[in-house]
Amino acid sequence: MNDRLFKIVKAATNVASGLSMATLIILGVSYIGFQNAFVFNNAGISVTNNPVTGGQINFILEGNRRHECTLKRVHSDAYNDTTGEKFELDFARKIYIRSNDYLGSNTGVVDHQWAMPVPDGMRPGVYRISLYSEFDCVYLLFKKTKVQMFDNISLIIE
Amino acid sequence: MDKVRNERITKQVERWDLFARTTPTLFLLTTLILILFDLVPLEYAFYIGLTGFAITAVTWWWWAIFTIRYLITVLSRASSNLSDVTKEMTKVKKELTELKDER
Repeated sequence: MNDRLFKIVKAATNVASGLSMATLIILGVSYIGFQNAFVFNNAGISVTNNPVTGGQINFILEGNRRHECTLKRVHSDAYNDTTGEKFELDFARKIYIRSNDYLGSNTGVVDHQWAMPVPDGMRPGVYRISLYSEFDCVYLLFKKTKVQMFDNISLIIE
Repeated sequence: MDKVRNERITKQVERWDLFARTTPTLFLLTTLILILFDLVPLEYAFYIGLTGFAITAVTWWWWAIFTIRYLITVLSRASSNLSDVTKEMTKVKKELTELKDER
């Protein structure tokens, strides 16, 4: 290898190494950011038609979202405040009322409203709802299953 | 002894240079291929990279400390020897001047 070619190879490997290092650092930092991010930020779920008089409970989820996530599994239970009795909310019978950001599409502000029937045998009273949700989130070439929980959602049945 | 050690350090510097020049690119390309073909989960690649980075950083740090310490020792010995030579030269110069004056 002559001197000129050696210098060119050396300079090229220097540039390639620098760019690779920068790429690795950027990807590493992005991955840590993605891994630690919540599905929803500044988010909360509440019942909009409290006290519930009909057979339908209306929910609203407000907040914002950074990454694209698809809902994989959801489970929700309502606990009676006085007796502790547990009722499972049936997500198979969920009806969308409004969704400006359907899960799995764009990121940004989330204003998500849905309705579910009052579980059978639920007597009038004050209930606390807890909601467990599991998402598949995607960002660049990263993919991760994330869990987000919402507790103490107040529900009043009349 | 110093000469052997100096040559060893020169070789080590060359090896570090080659390592720094090739490893990031090789690692990036290898992991990208492995991840794209689903041979390694991204999480594993991330932790392997992080471990490699940490090991390299610690090894380089200790190597740099020992090398700098050695270089400082060599430099201070050379400086001391040079000072002795200067003193000797001054002495010789003085003696020569005295000899010249006597004649």
